[in-house]
Amino acid sequence: MTDSQYLDVKLKLRDTESVVLTPGYLSGCILNSLDNLFGEIGGRTSLDIVKFSAADRRLILRVPQEFVERARIAVTLIGHYQEVPCHFQVLKTSNKQLDFDDVGL
Amino acid sequence: MYISVSIAPRSLRCNMVRIKNRYIAVQIVPYATKQTLHLKDHILAKCILQNVEKHYGVYGLGVVEQGFRVKYCNERTKIAVIRCVHRGQRFVSSMLPLITLIGDLRAKFRTLYIGATIIQCNKFIIKHQKQFLDRFMGQVESAKERQDLFKRVMELDMDR
Repeated sequence: MTDSQYLDVKLKLRDTESVVLTPGYLSGCILNSLDNLFGEIGGRTSLDIVKFSAADRRLILRVPQEFVERARIAVTLIGHYQEVPCHFQVLKTSNKQLDFDDVGL
Repeated sequence: MYISVSIAPRSLRCNMVRIKNRYIAVQIVPYATKQTLHLKDHILAKCILQNVEKHYGVYGLGVVEQGFRVKYCNERTKIAVIRCVHRGQRFVSSMLPLITLIGDLRAKFRTLYIGATIIQCNKFIIKHQKQFLDRFMGQVESAKERQDLFKRVMELDMDR
C-alpha cells in the first residue's frame, strides 16, 4: 500500500514493572493523544498496529499518508502511559512495510 | 551583475508584518423565540472557544485563541461580530453550524458574512437590518411603534 506510512516506535518508560503493555492499550493511548491535540474532527484517523513486541516495547504503526504528520506529533507528545511517565521514540518511518529487524538499536 | 538587496534588521522585519484578521457576522437564532436574549459577549466567546477545543483540540484552540474577540453583540437584534486571525478563520467558521447551546441558551448560529475589515462587516449588517425593516415595517400600525422598531433594529454601537 503506497498511500500508507509505517512508523517504527519504541516506548521508553520510567517504571517498566507497573504497566500492562498490550496493543489495545497502546493504540488507545495514541488515539487519546490525537483526540486531545487535534479534537474530534482533526484527530480522526485509522491507526493500525501492524507489529508489536512487548519484550522490546516496540511497535510498528500504519497510518494514512495525509495523517502521518499529526500521528507523529501525537505520538511524540505523549507523556504518560497508564499514569507512568514515558516517551515514545520514532526510530524509523517508511512508506514500505517495516520490520523490527530493520533498525539496529 | 549585482542585485542590491537591503536586509533590514530582524527586529524591524518583525514589525513590518501585518496581522490579518477576519470578522464574522453571525445571527443567533434561539430555539424558543424570545424578544431579547440575555447574552453577554464573554459567554459567546467562551462557548465558541470551548467548541473549537472540542472539535479541533488544543492545536485548534491555540491557533484561534490569539486575536479572538467578540467585537459586537446585540441582544435585541441577535447579531454578533466575531474577530479572529486570518489563519484561524476556518476553525471558527466550520464550528459555528455545530453549536447548539450558547451558555445555557438553546440556540444556533447563522453565519451572515465574513469580511476582512469591520467596516465592511458593519455595512453588511446595516444592509441586512434595512432588509429586515422593509419586511416588518408594513406590519406595524402606529408611527410611534415604527420609530421604536427602527431604533431597536438599527442600533449599532461598535465602540468595543
